Amino acid sequence: MELIKQIIDLIFGPDPELRQIILVTLRMSLFSTLISSILGIPFGVVLGANDFRAKAVISRVVNTLLGLPPVVGGLIVLMLLSRSGPLGSLRLLYTVNAMVIAQVILITPFVIAMTANVVGVSSQSINETLAGVGIGGWRRIKYYLLDFRIPFISIVLAAFGRSIAEVGAVQMVGGNVQYKTRVMTTAIMMQTNMGRFEFAITLGILLLLISFLVNSLVNRIQKATEHD
Amino acid sequence: MIRLNDIKVEVKNRTILDIPELELAKGKRYGVIGENGSGKTTLLRIIAGTLVSNNGQLKGLPSKGEMGYLPQSPYAFSLSVLENVKMAVLGENSEQSAKTALEKVGMGALLKSRGNRLSGGERQRMGLARVLALPRSLLILDEPSSATDIRGTNLIEALLLDWHRESQGTLIFSTHSPAQVVRLADEVLFMDKGRVIERGSPREIFDSPVNEETRSFLSHWKL
Amino acid sequence: MRKNRIVLLLVILTLLFAAFGCKQEPENKVVRMSTTTSVNDSGLMAYLQPAFEKATGYTLEITSAGTGAAIEKARMGDADLLLVHSKSAEEEYINEGFGEVRVPFMYNFFVIVGPADDPAGVAGAATAAEAFKAIAEVGATFISRGDKSGTHNKEMAIWKSIEFDPEGQSWYESIGQGMGQTLTVADEKQAYTISDKATFLAHEDSLSMLLEETDDMKNTYSMIVVTAERFADSNVKGAQAFVDWIATDEARQMIAEYGKAEYGEALFFNLD
Repeated sequence: MELIKQIIDLIFGPDPELRQIILVTLRMSLFSTLISSILGIPFGVVLGANDFRAKAVISRVVNTLLGLPPVVGGLIVLMLLSRSGPLGSLRLLYTVNAMVIAQVILITPFVIAMTANVVGVSSQSINETLAGVGIGGWRRIKYYLLDFRIPFISIVLAAFGRSIAEVGAVQMVGGNVQYKTRVMTTAIMMQTNMGRFEFAITLGILLLLISFLVNSLVNRIQKATEHD
Repeated sequence: MIRLNDIKVEVKNRTILDIPELELAKGKRYGVIGENGSGKTTLLRIIAGTLVSNNGQLKGLPSKGEMGYLPQSPYAFSLSVLENVKMAVLGENSEQSAKTALEKVGMGALLKSRGNRLSGGERQRMGLARVLALPRSLLILDEPSSATDIRGTNLIEALLLDWHRESQGTLIFSTHSPAQVVRLADEVLFMDKGRVIERGSPREIFDSPVNEETRSFLSHWKL
Repeated sequence: MRKNRIVLLLVILTLLFAAFGCKQEPENKVVRMSTTTSVNDSGLMAYLQPAFEKATGYTLEITSAGTGAAIEKARMGDADLLLVHSKSAEEEYINEGFGEVRVPFMYNFFVIVGPADDPAGVAGAATAAEAFKAIAEVGATFISRGDKSGTHNKEMAIWKSIEFDPEGQSWYESIGQGMGQTLTVADEKQAYTISDKATFLAHEDSLSMLLEETDDMKNTYSMIVVTAERFADSNVKGAQAFVDWIATDEARQMIAEYGKAEYGEALFFNLD
């Protein structure tokens, strides 16, 4: 099994390329997931738990952003961060930070929508029960966060899954620079274009494993928290 | 004296509650009875303040901290039973108050159980404990024993009578059972199609109902 | 008697018909060419294609990819003719027995491009090697294609000639992408890079052409006919027809003219 030997060599051998790719991927994804979750979950709770006039409009905006194709999201960030763009002086283009920015734009609507959905199912009952003992307004958020902590974990994991799998936007704003902004997805694209299939397949298998793990966890959590 | 004036609630052009005038005395026990869809829950929600009508007046209510409202299916959070009740109590002694309340509803052994794994009856009792964990001068309970068995119902009714005796507070509850009204209420309010069509002492009403609707409702029960 | 003669005639005609039918093998008119993205992007092939097809009756099917993938395609038998510009890779291909011989036929030059203010002083260098040395000394940002393409291989050869390994240097950024994208990144970062002239001229950016036409920046294009020994259904005749046609006066004239109208200079030169 020549292929397996090559795979092991790539992962544990002297060439740091693969390990560096994994490190950059994890760094980017952890930040993207963290920021999207911190922004998205509270917003999603407020959106899902309340009925207010602007709710329909905001929901529609969130859903529209949800349908934003990743390459378009990447394009928008590219235009903003490029030297000739409004934020060009920040010199953010082709850095991990740019990739995180693009991913946050793409993933936060997802987190908001999923949170609002999960919370919205029981929000009326929760609100009424809490109101019955004098708990209203912003104080309620604490109980929402506590009650849905496990579904929220599952949402965060799903956000992570989306982050490591994304390729269009991170290619555009990251530039696939070796050791600096090359992540698993962009590396797979590049190696395939170069005809170097063992490397591409190794990365592909690793990415698949991570995705599979994350998805299994999400499934387990969802099954375990099926309320009666 | 709790006063309601010109309270109207409309949903999709249907009037689900229409109260031109209603007075409820402090310290009394009121039982609201009627068919499904007669407006019982809506009336309770209006008094509790979780539903607000566009016009009309609502006066004489105590402060929020003194009012306790238990909805029909109180929510059970995915925390421990103890935590579920503790959340209603701010300040020190929250744990002790919660424990005491849970013991009173007969759930002293379930403190560590997960709230969202309870049966319907247990959730209701837990909801009641939550409401009773703090002293209240007004209790509004929407069908508080609808999911409990006979033992549970007896326990809840005894608890409510005790509470009333000790606190001299006002009790407003809704129910499907005329028998429960007899056991628990000073005065009964009959509701039909969003209106209070008859009120009086339970014995009076059940022995000689005036209203046609009341009579037909009662005809299903033989007291 | 007459009936028998007619039958005999019919039989003979049928046999002759069948014989002719069998002898006429359907000739494969499609020539599959695998070439690189820079060749394709320059537009040269699209420009030559109609003339070739008219002159020979063959149909040209052109696919392009990075050099590595283009050669891989030929290695897998998905092409009849390989047209790339990476001598070492070409020779490897032939040594592995996939092609018979490489036929160099035209060349052009790489150019070193960079920011207009030229902090490393590349414009004054005599050779690409000198320019690279200056860039390394100053530590000026350099963008490499990093994709084992012909351009990339040329770049690595130049680094090798000054015995300097740029990998890992903080100012050296290898992005693993095509020429167009490499120029875009270089423009964004106002950095140096090496490019083929045609792509650079066609690319919109604010970089300046700082060094061109030195000996060590010659870029030679070759054709390789994929051998029939490895792939039985390879259209060797068709591929050879293209190789032969390239050597004609008509083709050479077209190559020499290409780009003059648009850029004021030829983009490719015929090898003598």
